[in-house]
Amino acid sequence: MSLFFIVALPFFGALLPGLMNSAGRSACAGVTFTVSLLAFIGLMSNLPTVLAGGVVMVGIDWMPVLGLNFTLMLDGLGFFFATLILGIGLLIIAYARNYLSRDDNMGEFFTYLLLFQGAMVGIVLSDNILLLLVFWEITSLSSFLLIGYWKHLPAGRQGARMALTVTGLGGLAMIGGMLILGQIVGSYDLSVILQNRDLIQADPLYVTALILILLGCFTKSAQFPFHFWLPHAMSAPTPVSAYLHSATMVKAGIFLMARMWPVLSGTPEWFVIVTSAGLITMVLGAVIALFKHDLKALLAFSTVSHLGLITMLLGTGTAFGAMAAVFHILNHATFKAALFMSAGIIDHEAHTRDIRRLGGLRKLMPVTFMIASLAALSMAGIPLLNGFLSKEMMLEEAHHTVLFGSHWLVPVLATFGSIFSAAYCFRLIGHVFFGPVRDDYPAKPHDPKSGLWMPPAILAVLVVVIGVAPFVAEPFVKLVTASVLGGAADLPSAHFKIWHGLVPALFMSIIAVVGGLVMLAIFNPALRLWDRTPRPEAKPIFEAIVEAVTQLARMLILPLHNGAFSRFAAIGAITIIAAGFHAWTTGTLGAPTREAQAASPVVIAGWVMLVAATGGLVLMHRNRLLSLILIGIVGLMVSIGFVFFSAPDLAMTQFTVEVVTIILLLLALNFLPKFTPVESSVLRRVRDAGVAIAGGLATFGLAYYYMLRTSVATPISEFHLANSYKGGGGTNVVNVILVDFRGFDTYGEIIVLGIAALLIYALTETLLGGPVRARLLNRKPDQKRAGDMHPMMMVVVTRVIMPLVMLVGFYIFLRGHNEPGGGFIAGLIVSIAVVMQYMASGFAWTSSRLKYPYHGVIGAGVLIAGFTGIGSWFVGKPFLTSAFTYVRIPPFHKFELATAALFDLGVFLAVVGAVMLSLESFSRLAKRANMEDSEYPMDIDPSRDDPAPATSGQAKEEV
Amino acid sequence: MEFLVASAIGILTAGGIYLTLRLRTFPVIMGISLLTYAVNVFIFASGRLTVGAPPILSDGVTTYTDPLPQALVLTAIVISFGMTAVVVMIGLGAFLGSDDDHVDDQPEASNSKAEGQS
Amino acid sequence: MTHWLITPIVLPALLAPFIVLAARYHIGIQRSFSVAGVLALIAIALGLCIQASDGTILLYQLSDWAAPFGIVLVGDRLSTMMVLLTAVLALFVLLYAIGSGWDNRGRHFHALFQFQLMGIMGAFLTGDLFNLFVFFEVLLIASYGLMIHGGGTPRLRAGVQYVLFNLIGSTLFLFALASIYAETGTLNMADLANRVAMIGAADTVGIRVAAVLLLLVFAIKAAVVPLHFWLPSSYAEAPAPVAALFAIMTKVGAYAIIRVYTMIFPPDLSVTAGLHDVWLMPAALISVVVGMVGVLATKKLDRLVAFAVIGSMGMVMVSISLFTPEGIAAALYYTIHSTLAAAALFLIVDLVRTGRANLDLTSQPPVVGNALTAGMFFAGAIAMAGLPPLSGFLGKLLVLNASYESGLVIWIWAVVLGSSLIGIVGFVRAGSIVFWKAQGEAQTGAPSEFERPAALSYIAVGGLLSLLIALSVFAGQVHGYTTTMAAQLFAPQPYMSKVLDTEGKLSKPVADDHSSTQEEGH
Repeated sequence: MSLFFIVALPFFGALLPGLMNSAGRSACAGVTFTVSLLAFIGLMSNLPTVLAGGVVMVGIDWMPVLGLNFTLMLDGLGFFFATLILGIGLLIIAYARNYLSRDDNMGEFFTYLLLFQGAMVGIVLSDNILLLLVFWEITSLSSFLLIGYWKHLPAGRQGARMALTVTGLGGLAMIGGMLILGQIVGSYDLSVILQNRDLIQADPLYVTALILILLGCFTKSAQFPFHFWLPHAMSAPTPVSAYLHSATMVKAGIFLMARMWPVLSGTPEWFVIVTSAGLITMVLGAVIALFKHDLKALLAFSTVSHLGLITMLLGTGTAFGAMAAVFHILNHATFKAALFMSAGIIDHEAHTRDIRRLGGLRKLMPVTFMIASLAALSMAGIPLLNGFLSKEMMLEEAHHTVLFGSHWLVPVLATFGSIFSAAYCFRLIGHVFFGPVRDDYPAKPHDPKSGLWMPPAILAVLVVVIGVAPFVAEPFVKLVTASVLGGAADLPSAHFKIWHGLVPALFMSIIAVVGGLVMLAIFNPALRLWDRTPRPEAKPIFEAIVEAVTQLARMLILPLHNGAFSRFAAIGAITIIAAGFHAWTTGTLGAPTREAQAASPVVIAGWVMLVAATGGLVLMHRNRLLSLILIGIVGLMVSIGFVFFSAPDLAMTQFTVEVVTIILLLLALNFLPKFTPVESSVLRRVRDAGVAIAGGLATFGLAYYYMLRTSVATPISEFHLANSYKGGGGTNVVNVILVDFRGFDTYGEIIVLGIAALLIYALTETLLGGPVRARLLNRKPDQKRAGDMHPMMMVVVTRVIMPLVMLVGFYIFLRGHNEPGGGFIAGLIVSIAVVMQYMASGFAWTSSRLKYPYHGVIGAGVLIAGFTGIGSWFVGKPFLTSAFTYVRIPPFHKFELATAALFDLGVFLAVVGAVMLSLESFSRLAKRANMEDSEYPMDIDPSRDDPAPATSGQAKEEV
Repeated sequence: MEFLVASAIGILTAGGIYLTLRLRTFPVIMGISLLTYAVNVFIFASGRLTVGAPPILSDGVTTYTDPLPQALVLTAIVISFGMTAVVVMIGLGAFLGSDDDHVDDQPEASNSKAEGQS
Repeated sequence: MTHWLITPIVLPALLAPFIVLAARYHIGIQRSFSVAGVLALIAIALGLCIQASDGTILLYQLSDWAAPFGIVLVGDRLSTMMVLLTAVLALFVLLYAIGSGWDNRGRHFHALFQFQLMGIMGAFLTGDLFNLFVFFEVLLIASYGLMIHGGGTPRLRAGVQYVLFNLIGSTLFLFALASIYAETGTLNMADLANRVAMIGAADTVGIRVAAVLLLLVFAIKAAVVPLHFWLPSSYAEAPAPVAALFAIMTKVGAYAIIRVYTMIFPPDLSVTAGLHDVWLMPAALISVVVGMVGVLATKKLDRLVAFAVIGSMGMVMVSISLFTPEGIAAALYYTIHSTLAAAALFLIVDLVRTGRANLDLTSQPPVVGNALTAGMFFAGAIAMAGLPPLSGFLGKLLVLNASYESGLVIWIWAVVLGSSLIGIVGFVRAGSIVFWKAQGEAQTGAPSEFERPAALSYIAVGGLLSLLIALSVFAGQVHGYTTTMAAQLFAPQPYMSKVLDTEGKLSKPVADDHSSTQEEGH
């Protein structure tokens, strides 16, 4: 079967258990089993090729530019691991079916399991190291889900988080390492990389890459100093532990070291780092394991220790070491999985895993006893069991290994580790199965249904078979070793034998076994010693680190992002000024190309007023009404300036906008406090003043610079001046630019206005619908009400001039194309006229006479503008293309009719609608605020002296 | 004359920035308006200064001031008007809801301490 | 002539007022029009993409005036792709808004939504710098409306800050534009590219300052540290669908930077050397750090996503700041990813919100639909944190790979990889508190008070997630296309000649006489 299927099957199969969940637990497990079985069969279908020493390769492009392609490769090594993953996976699934209880969601469990299985298979079959990275991280994620499967257990959550954090760290480091490796070789395909040993090891970045990759391997395979996460992953359901920690997850790191062995190994760096890490891990794990009382914890640390052993073997960099490693991987997988499952069985039956509460199970659970002790003895390295063989090879290798120039360091430590290793195996057997039968087990232990003990039993059989007849495994192991070595070294000729003669390794084994028995004999005093010696506990340290980092992060981030707008603005301003200053100072400053014009007294006078008004505004901004007046003066000065510098349109616009804005702000101020209290410290004000002055200088300098220089080429406006009449049919170039040359800008501009109005309207609606309404109702006006709210004079005047103003607006609108004016200004003028009515005669009176729905006016305006634009489509011209003609109706002289005028009408309507809708919204708030407003603005307000009606009205409102 | 205009721009900017850095919504809005004046004049000045030559085509006149910046300023004025109206309204809404017209607020204040470690 | 290029702008611009006029009070009609409009947009955008995919430059001269005198819309590979991305995103956001009923919690949602789309589309399509400003304002003011949609004092307070900050940004934009006009006398991007190249080495301060100011404007939009402060509160307080739509708005800033600083101020331009090419990269790296550290630091789920957005914008900016074709190609791929992922996460957070008292990262009882939401959060977090197999990881690889030649490679790799670890821890932490710890909680507090989110909401989120998956599966094709985009950006000559050499009304001067009556162009 194609490798693609082998990898893809578990992933797609992962969908099934979830679906089958309702179909019952057996269906769930059944479908999972079938999926894995299919994958397994598919793998086996490739056996002949592999046995023939061939390599199966398939591939499709994924991201060719990056070099990340979906290429898979199956050689001996890959086949070996895939077999372990899928084979043991099958047993685990069968086991889990009987292990999980009814209230565990089995579909969820098997989904995660299959995801994990698929990712593992992906790792061992990847030919592309980036693809391998992808699968690598997926194993971290799916194992995170598996370990945290029992979400209600805090230990589960913490263990999962720890595992993901540590392995994630390694994964990220490995990304770096792999990318460097790929950059060195120029390809991310293993088949290429493995051919370039010399190139890689010669590269200056070799050590960096090596360290980064090893970080990944060590974290994954729980090598010192990253060994601490593995035991905490034990809070997962036992099937998970059995799977992850015997055959799969933790072996991924080992696998990668084996995979990369040909190109990375053999250098001093590799030797020192890998060997010593492995050695330390092996000893450390063995010692800790002995004193663990939780069966699974004991097995966890024993796993750590054995992983260290394998790592050390790979570290030595000799072919024999590699072979020993491969062999031990196989053996460890068999006996460790069996042991975990047995531990699970005991937990399942006796409801405890605490060795101190067990003992004497030999009589109660003979089957489990058989399985467990066979596996344990194998782990201890007792002859006729497979563990013995690989351990012997390990000791043999250790005997030849020279670390830090010392001949005895490695052998002694190896033996030392083996003593403890043997000891905890004996303790496991002795303290759990032997001894008197107790009567205080949490539950009455007995052998489980065959469903539970069959899977470990199968493994136990393997343990014995390989142990008795090593030659069965030999060819296969050698095949795998060959593919590990690649071209880097020749296959060792040594044969797997139980009896090698009186070699040093034998004596070391004997020492180990005897030592182990001794340790067991003196276990209790040793335990007391152990308990008295202070040791760092990994978990609190890890948690503390994470917590510390989190707190640090908070200290860095939260105070900065505490919503202090004024600080944000200050930082922004400083950044902008600084960047501009930097750009200025690093540039070259040439001489001016225009000379300054002389200033007339008028200009100076205007300048003085402007400056005075601005200064006054800054100084007296706390009095808000006053500041409104002052800003009005500023605006006035600016518009006068525009008049002076020949920009009549601007002046008109600026002026009218000014008026409307002030009215708006007045309406708002009606609700807001009238004064701004002093809050900021002097220091702060000084800082702000500093920023302000810097900014002022910046814009001054910039403006002055530009005004004294001509642009690099003639401005495009030359074209506008030249063609505004010919092409735009208007003599007011500004207006022609607005409605024709750059009509699209104006289109956007009126839409902005329209949106503004909609927004204000929508907001008013929301406010009046929400809690604010009540606040408004109960709000007391903070100003004494005027005697006559609607001064007679004003009412009369406004009503008289209303039509006049309208007429003016109309005129301004019409002449816009040729004289200063246009739709926008006209719109503002008209709306001002209406606003004056509001102000003079009051809201109720005016709105009762103004029946236009402003929504409609805005919409109509925007639509007219839009359709004017689209209109030109029908004469095959682009959006907004203007056409105009001159008509002559006697006795008037010739005047011009342009589609631009229609567009301008849209502008006009949008402006009127927008302004009015905004103002109306404000007034509606005011109305809600229970401000008295009569239908008859002409008469005097009697309620001034006794506010009773007001309160009664308010009472009504509240009901 | 250029100096006066440039300095006017500078002063408007300075005043604008100072007010923008105040703590209450209203002065900040004032400050933004000042900045708007400043930038409008700045855009206008980018067409250089010309006296008495409005861009209204008439026979026999050859020198006109640069009309494009004027058009740009017009657009800018309109847009900033809309923006001012909006910000005033939103500010008003915020004030009415909380009787507080500070521009600053504490987004994460409402939180009880998150205990992430279990 | 065809008018397709302008339809993405005009269609929503006409639809919105129509909705206001005709269907102001009928949410049903509004919804159907809105959705129909977005579907049409997708179709149009797809058409434009296909037209531009072979390297054709689409040009539309508004009012029939030739560039640089009139405004032109330009569609190249990049802009059409961004338009398509916007339209697709809009569809799912809209579906969610409808499914969750967000659109009915205030007035004029759909009108504002359409205007928002108009603004974004215009910003992507215009070839004129001042017109870009106008569209920025359109999309901004629409975004103000959407951001405060539904009201509520906290939202309004955040809204005030959002608006004020952007007003400062707009003012800065105008300063920059005026400087550029004063220096070059033009506003059209292609024309600018030519005229900037004419500026001599003798007097460069003007153009340098202009270039920097413009960059800062776009940096504010792209939330580059230290100009990012507006983002967390406004995105966290905005209604979820709006925040999801905002995911594209930060990209408008990134787009503008790519456009302007590859064509007008290309990296090899001497007069502006030593500016953005120097300090944009550090700023981007800091953004990545701030974003990811913020993910770990924050105490609310919605702010967590907001910080994640800052972080992923940082990634985009890192890749852009390389100013190499590889960098831009990676940046564009990452842009697509970041947009979809951020949008999905904001919507997922809203799904969480419907089942919880608040979004504080404290353990609270689980509620209906928790499992599905949890699964979606897991997927979204994987994407955002840049873990395999989703596009975030591939994008990260692309960025790292593209930066291998850079002088700062060590910094870039250290920051990107290190901060992803912090981000992972932050996401894991938040996720396990919200979803797992809940399992431990006693089932206190009647879950009845929370209703299960509507199916349509889940469909919308699922759609975004499946887009992410597609983006990962077809990463090769997508990245291949972004590579051709980058190539087009770094060879702007066809673009410029197409824009500047196409004739429009009166491009050939005609005899000047005031009495010429019929003058309708050509």
